[in-house]
Amino acid sequence: MKGWIGKLLRVNLSERSFRSEPYDEAFAQKWIGGRGMALKILWDELKPGIDPLGPENKFIVALGPISGVPAPNTGKAVVAAKSPLTGGYGDGNLGTRVTAQLRKAGYDLLVVEGRAEAPTILAIEDDRVEFHPADSLWGRGTYDAEEALQRAYGKSAGILLIGQAGENQVRYAVVRSLQGRAGGRPGMGAVMGSKQLKAIVVKGSSEIPLSFHEDYRATTRADLKKVHQLDRQSGWSRQGTAGVLAWCNEVAALPVRNFRKTSHPDAWRIDGERVDAARVATYGCPFCVFPCGIAVHDREGRESELDYENIGLLGSNLEIFELDQVASLNYLCDDYGLDTISAGSVLAFYADAIEHGAAEGSFRFGDAEAAKALLGLIARRQGVGNLLADGVMRMGRAFGKGSEAYAMHVKGLEISAYNCKFIPGMALAYGTSPIGAHHKEAWVITYELKETPRDSYGIEKARKVIELQRIRGGLFEFIVSCRFPWVELGWDLDHYAGYFRMATGLNWSLDDLYRVGDRIYALMKAFWAREFPNWSRKMDYPPPAWFDPTYADREGIIAGKVLEVEQYDRLLSLYYHLRGWDERGIPTRRTFKDLELGEEMKALEPWVRLE
Amino acid sequence: MQVTVRVVGHLVYKTGFGEKILELPSGITVSELIRRIGLDENVPGMVTRNGACLLPGDELNPGDRIVIAPAYSGG
Repeated sequence: MKGWIGKLLRVNLSERSFRSEPYDEAFAQKWIGGRGMALKILWDELKPGIDPLGPENKFIVALGPISGVPAPNTGKAVVAAKSPLTGGYGDGNLGTRVTAQLRKAGYDLLVVEGRAEAPTILAIEDDRVEFHPADSLWGRGTYDAEEALQRAYGKSAGILLIGQAGENQVRYAVVRSLQGRAGGRPGMGAVMGSKQLKAIVVKGSSEIPLSFHEDYRATTRADLKKVHQLDRQSGWSRQGTAGVLAWCNEVAALPVRNFRKTSHPDAWRIDGERVDAARVATYGCPFCVFPCGIAVHDREGRESELDYENIGLLGSNLEIFELDQVASLNYLCDDYGLDTISAGSVLAFYADAIEHGAAEGSFRFGDAEAAKALLGLIARRQGVGNLLADGVMRMGRAFGKGSEAYAMHVKGLEISAYNCKFIPGMALAYGTSPIGAHHKEAWVITYELKETPRDSYGIEKARKVIELQRIRGGLFEFIVSCRFPWVELGWDLDHYAGYFRMATGLNWSLDDLYRVGDRIYALMKAFWAREFPNWSRKMDYPPPAWFDPTYADREGIIAGKVLEVEQYDRLLSLYYHLRGWDERGIPTRRTFKDLELGEEMKALEPWVRLE
Repeated sequence: MQVTVRVVGHLVYKTGFGEKILELPSGITVSELIRRIGLDENVPGMVTRNGACLLPGDELNPGDRIVIAPAYSGG
């Protein structure tokens, strides 16, 4: 087969063993790579109900047919496992040199099983695998530890690692790489930590053993220049994603004060213009031609790489409007290996719960120094940090007193930086995101505000969410490529079908590729249903606060407005209907069969009644 | 008439300002405003008034706060 190396590397940390496993063309064509292959392996190999932080869970690094071969923004990798934060399927992607190095070593995927007896570095060099002690790195932050690894293994080595948060199994610990990239919001770093796996280091010395179409390299080389030129013309990377903040503030979509408000008069102090003005460096992923990582100096004088999500959650949502203090919080999250979105939401929920008498403590909105101290407690699971390390869903259960209503999550994953108390389609995107509340699956908000009445719950919104999920949560996650060239610069999706065709020799249309996305979405939902046999459509709801008029803005352009629960429920039914899922949100037998998931349907039947 | 115009994101590098109160002729439309502040009519992704999207031919009113943003598609 072309495009795929056709081999995965399976490592067992308990046994300190490894083996190279071939996979066949049928598997490759059905699941393509990245999220698709990782999901299928986890579905087949994980016993339902296992402890995500136990040795039975598996940690997967998954690549796609164009991974590691130059094309616009193809230096990414998917990391996946059963999530310790949500209990469902979990994954994320990040830019890393591991992508190219793993393929040069001769593999498309890495599957890590078991649990090491002591802190370990998994060192892969071509067909050799070694288990090196990580005692000297354990307890150290990601910046320091990655520098040490780079010194020990060489500058070209690909590295994935965790900080103290992953070591201590903070449920929203991420995987880090390249001293600025992070991925795996639903606790993929905690899964590494539970295996005592501090780092994965990969070096490959061969050319990637693939025979792409002769036009591939010339085409992609020219395309890299064109994408770069598009960015130069638009000026997008001047502010990167931080530019979104001012817009969200103006259209009442910014998270402020644990999402209780949607805009703030001081938001301009942390917006994209201020970030651009404070820029001291710019960083990107491998094969990126318009890097989005804008580094500024934090209060302590360290470089900290900002984007919209971390400014929204660690800034406005905490009512901290000093950019250098937001940068400090962001630096600490990155160094500890905490997800910035969840960490910001956890701190805001804690302040909110204290303010409303549900929790005890002295932490207040706007207190950046206290927030810094709390991040340290969370990363080490010390004191109150032990509870905060479990995320807002579990905090709400522990606090009680009605606080669960304003614990801002879906399925246990904290909501990212779009406040949708009066944006029904984007609320649906969060509700139906297959890893919990994440914007990466379907960013429908622009379409919704531009093309539809804001207060409508029409089928066009459900249809658009699915269209975007097919592209963003489907195509880009299984071919494993950054979506930004398409998302921000309008780089046509047909290019990706072209890269896929030249890499694999398969003359597939975009619709053929979207069908793979639908298959993956159906199996992700099956994964959730198998883990939660009493699955209810309520799992696809945003938090109660967005339906409760007492949480409505008191002033501004959406004063008094919130989502309507009956209307949302109807919109959810429309979404299910368009996907071929039943009223619980589980794919029907017919849908399983249509998507060639007959085997998976049979495996699900003992756990869930299917319609 | 006076209208507050807020330009966000990288469009500020084309207009040279982020927020300004402009003195404009009454009855001016969205597309005329866009041209007047130095933007290409096809460039802005979204123009809103009080969070509601405006069309190119919509007329502005005295005291409006108009927000002009690029075509953001999400981080």
